[in-house]
Amino acid sequence: MRRPAGAEAAVRYGGWPLLVALALAAGQGLDDYALTVAGTILVYAILGLGINIVVGYAGLLDLGFAAFFAIGAYTSGLLMLKLGWGFWPTLPASIAAAAVAGAVIGYPTLRLRSDYLAIVTLGFGEIIRITVVNLEVTGGPNGLTGIPPVSVGGRQIVLPQDFFYLALAFFVAVLAATALLARSRLAYAWRAIRADDTAAEAVGVPARRVKLLAYVLGAMVGAVAGPLNAAQLGTVDPSSFTFLTSLMILLVVIIGGMGSRPGVMIGAVVIVALPEVLRTVQEYRGLFFALLLILIVILRPQGVWPYRPRRLRLPDAAGPAPEPPSAPGTLLEVEGLSRRFGGVTAVDGLSLRADAGQVVSVIGPNGAGKTTAFNCITGMIPPSAGTVVLAGRSVRGLSPHRVAAAGLARTFQSIRLFDGMTVAENVLIGRFARDRGLLRPLSRADLDAVRRCLDFVGLLDAADRPAGGLPYGDRRRLEIARALAAEPRVLLLDEPAAGANPTEKQALMALIARISALGAAVVLIEHDVALVMSISDRVTVLEYGRTIAEGPPAEVQDDPRVIAAYLGVPDDPETDLVTEVLR
Amino acid sequence: MTEFVQYLVNGLTIGAFLSLIALGYSMIYGVVRLINFAHGDVFMIGAFAGFGTLTALGATGGMALPAIVAAVLVGALTTGAVGTGIAKAAYVPLLSSPRLALLISAIGVSLALEEGVKVLTHARFKSYPNALDGGRIFSGAVHVTWGQLALVVLSVVLMAALWLFVTRTMTGTAMRALAMDRDAARLQGINVERLILVTFFIGSLLAGAAGVMYGLYYVQISFGMGFLIGLRAFTAAVLGGIGNLPGTMVAGVAIGLVQSFSAGYVSSRWTDVIIFGLLIAVLALRPTGLFGERVVERA
Amino acid sequence: MTSPMNQPAPRDRGRRFRLLTATGAGLLLVPLAAACGSDGAGGSGPIKIGVPAPLSGDSASAGQDILAAAKVAAAEINRAGGVDGRQIEIVQADDQCSAQQGAQAAQKLLNSGVVAVAGGYCSGAAVPAIPIYGRRNVPFVMDASTNPSLTDTGKGKVFRTCGRDDNQGVVAAKFMTGELRAKRIALLHDNTTYAKGLADATADSLKQVGGQVVYEDALQPGQSDYSPVLTKIASTRPDVLYFTGYFAEAGLLMKQRRQLGLKFTLMGGDATTDSTVLKTAGPAADGYIATTAPLAKDLPAAGKFVSAYKSANGADPGPFSVYEYDAVKVVAKAIDDAGSTKGPDITEALHKIANFPGITGPITFDEKGDRTDPLYITVRVRDGAFTAYKKLDKSGATWVDAKTS
Repeated sequence: MRRPAGAEAAVRYGGWPLLVALALAAGQGLDDYALTVAGTILVYAILGLGINIVVGYAGLLDLGFAAFFAIGAYTSGLLMLKLGWGFWPTLPASIAAAAVAGAVIGYPTLRLRSDYLAIVTLGFGEIIRITVVNLEVTGGPNGLTGIPPVSVGGRQIVLPQDFFYLALAFFVAVLAATALLARSRLAYAWRAIRADDTAAEAVGVPARRVKLLAYVLGAMVGAVAGPLNAAQLGTVDPSSFTFLTSLMILLVVIIGGMGSRPGVMIGAVVIVALPEVLRTVQEYRGLFFALLLILIVILRPQGVWPYRPRRLRLPDAAGPAPEPPSAPGTLLEVEGLSRRFGGVTAVDGLSLRADAGQVVSVIGPNGAGKTTAFNCITGMIPPSAGTVVLAGRSVRGLSPHRVAAAGLARTFQSIRLFDGMTVAENVLIGRFARDRGLLRPLSRADLDAVRRCLDFVGLLDAADRPAGGLPYGDRRRLEIARALAAEPRVLLLDEPAAGANPTEKQALMALIARISALGAAVVLIEHDVALVMSISDRVTVLEYGRTIAEGPPAEVQDDPRVIAAYLGVPDDPETDLVTEVLR
Repeated sequence: MTEFVQYLVNGLTIGAFLSLIALGYSMIYGVVRLINFAHGDVFMIGAFAGFGTLTALGATGGMALPAIVAAVLVGALTTGAVGTGIAKAAYVPLLSSPRLALLISAIGVSLALEEGVKVLTHARFKSYPNALDGGRIFSGAVHVTWGQLALVVLSVVLMAALWLFVTRTMTGTAMRALAMDRDAARLQGINVERLILVTFFIGSLLAGAAGVMYGLYYVQISFGMGFLIGLRAFTAAVLGGIGNLPGTMVAGVAIGLVQSFSAGYVSSRWTDVIIFGLLIAVLALRPTGLFGERVVERA
Repeated sequence: MTSPMNQPAPRDRGRRFRLLTATGAGLLLVPLAAACGSDGAGGSGPIKIGVPAPLSGDSASAGQDILAAAKVAAAEINRAGGVDGRQIEIVQADDQCSAQQGAQAAQKLLNSGVVAVAGGYCSGAAVPAIPIYGRRNVPFVMDASTNPSLTDTGKGKVFRTCGRDDNQGVVAAKFMTGELRAKRIALLHDNTTYAKGLADATADSLKQVGGQVVYEDALQPGQSDYSPVLTKIASTRPDVLYFTGYFAEAGLLMKQRRQLGLKFTLMGGDATTDSTVLKTAGPAADGYIATTAPLAKDLPAAGKFVSAYKSANGADPGPFSVYEYDAVKVVAKAIDDAGSTKGPDITEALHKIANFPGITGPITFDEKGDRTDPLYITVRVRDGAFTAYKKLDKSGATWVDAKTS
């Protein structure tokens, strides 16, 4: 049924060798002017591959990417002019300097939303540019002049043709490096945080580290273009690193298609060659360019060559299932958990216990504090008081991805999938709680787990479909499969039956039973009292943040306070809302 | 000490402009979640529309005041129309596209406006008639001109009018509702597209009025005049907590003061480094700006 | 109920898509077609002279003025029968004032077969272009790039009809300390290559002639409000403020200096003599002094050029138009002298040119490629116009009225 791997790879990657072969031939045929322009295209393509990591993969808007271009160029130029270094040793130094700069800009911005990133990165780009213009050592507004040409095997690279080949070699090297990166676990983590960083963090992706790596690696790739450009022009001119340059670099990925390497190539051609074509219209050059830009974006908001997700090659048969978690007994123990928002106490002294193989439910009217309690347990919001112990280890105050790694997986009330990714890739992200490696390819264990979890919830046939296109019920099941991929000891399900029809509810109950049979503890928030009473071992009832009843379903059901709170026993959140308003 | 007061006066003048322009960024962001990159250029269009009006009417002698009033009105209405037109043509069609597409469209519009005016004016500067060259209020150690006073008063009046509009009218309330939750607002029967256009109209109106005032005060205008001031106004909007109108006004004045004092006590060369450094520091400590944003992020 | 305005029907949308695509394709094709048409062959046809200039970007107006002047010069030469019976053709290339575009413009010009280059505006664009022309031995006569290093490192293949920043710095320093008797001098630039270069050169000269530099710093162009900078400068109590930046800021400085009631003399460099400053500053411009090469209207020989330029372009020439005119003329003369269109021959002929009657004065190049005659004088604003003021006499020590030559 599936095409052999080799054939697919040939189709998918055949384009690049062909393109490089074409470029090699073109180097012989083109004149100096065309080769100079082609060399510039390659410089921008390298910058594009760099910003593609930051913007395309990780979805972090960067309006100051020219800063890394500048840092690369100035580091290399200064080392050559002031310390007399040769070109080649300055290359790693430039990359290292950019990596440091990437970490410097990345670190304070980790907590910011993308719109704020726009202004902060823009500001960073301007700070770098203004600083090099103001300092004497960087040549002030003159920049650096008289940069010696690169020599390769005793041959000086001065002619446009030689430079074109040099740039091509750089481009191929950067392309190969980014292609490897695109297959690493890190690339999947980037795409997950781009789709929904809160959900990614909650299922075990160390979001801050992953974002920081995007800045650092993107900066390192982009920095390569700096020395190359300095060698091309023999000068480093600070006016080459303005906000406009940053915009042009950003446009390379947006026009091409975010996350798409062929798109970057197309974007670089458009950004560099289009103004060259427009030379003849003189003063209208900028205007034409701007109008074409708007046109491209309105016609192809996704880019000219959008990213297409790669199919995960799942094993034909799942390997042996992992050993069930070996610690029976109490897996989750919550004591006196409280959370106050200003004057409101959303959760007040909650205690909760779940043993291996048990299903424990938390019910209560809307606003009773159920989801807040979940968020405190999973580390998404810090609790004001109380303890959370997972399999004998306190996880209170840990960040969500550490809580997930400790063995606690969750789903969300409003389903939070990574919509741009395939079903199988969504499940794969759940694996980050188990295996935290980033800079290496997917392991056999990853793929085995994905296959097993998809099989478990019955979504194996949908493995390669985009998650965004799944019907509602399947989205719920996919979220559970993603949580299961973490091989959790405790699974928190937040209203998994919301919006489900009776048949789907039956299937869900069976699924929950199978999960608890694996030896995990399942904690459930649910409105459907009938469902809760039929599958739970213990039930906790919350009202206004306080626990009003706790015990086996039969006892709780007869508690007068529960009956009072649940007048009419609504099983639909909408009517539930009405009863609350009535009171 | 007298220099300190002079820096203060100059900073407040600059801040009045920045606040007016920053409000447009803030309002539009609140409603559309779009950093309207073209906003600085809308400001520039306003300055040119006012210039055209003044040139046509002539601003000398007894005609000066009516001509100035006409110029402010024409400038503001022109940019109101231009802003709404831009929103209709380049933003509304992309509302359901990825956010970045919208941003790039805004950048495209910004470049197009700048380049369009550049072609029309042959990239040359234009100078307003020196209409506001009236006398000084104080001219001892510290100098304050009537022009500065008029400018600050007009800015305050416009900002107060905006504040009343946003808090006291149905449209303003609908705007705030839209800023909080677009889907819920739509369910409540708010015509989202119309409201977005109204927001663009008002935001651009303010920018246009600021553009004409700028022309009257500084006299010299050009196609590129919107870039730097737009950038700083945008910084002010973010610093104040984007979407938070009072915060934006305060931050606009603050940036104006920073611009003035940094030129006085450090060096004008480092002004932007100081402004952006301050911004990064504030955001690192308070990720939603000095005064917190009023936009609710749905979990 | 959905409003018909909100969602176009699919058919509608398809049509819109086609329309947009067609428009897009059309926009792309127009310049392409034009590009194909403009590529002429070299050889025995017209002699091509390249003119790189910022034709788009922020300095486009300066670039357009330069290109227009080159065309006026070429038209004049061609009307008089061309060079060796061949017509002169101007080939333009936009360098956008950037290093990257400067390099590409240079390759583009070489590609179209230019035998010499006369033009340029920003030194940032000229720096990477110089070695590119140099490798093909194509001489480059600059009309506006005044940075000393350009000819210093040009290996004798780079010339200029404009002056050098260090020469202007000497003139400015002598004028301020000599004629104005200033002791305390403030220098203000805008952190561009040209302005900082001139400010630094002036500071060096001041050291030699005994002036005290009490302030040297940059303003930020585009900011419009320079009151804080002026307040700061006033606090250093200078006798003269010499602003070495461009005219856009000069007008605002004059105006705001007056608003602040500051008393020091305001002077500027040769990039401030645009008529815009007079409109911007109004009465505040009165008494402003600039160091500059003689203005076109004061050059007796330039009258014919100015009227030819006006009738061709409907506007006054820009500050560098006269230099570009002379650059094209001197290149044509060199080709004529050499009797050859080979680069080395033209370069040699350029070096041999002596007292060529340019409209900016007699032109002779030294071994570096700079003009041997001192160029700079001072002009002053009187009654809303720049008028020639003082110049150094032959001895280089005393200032005499510039009008009486």
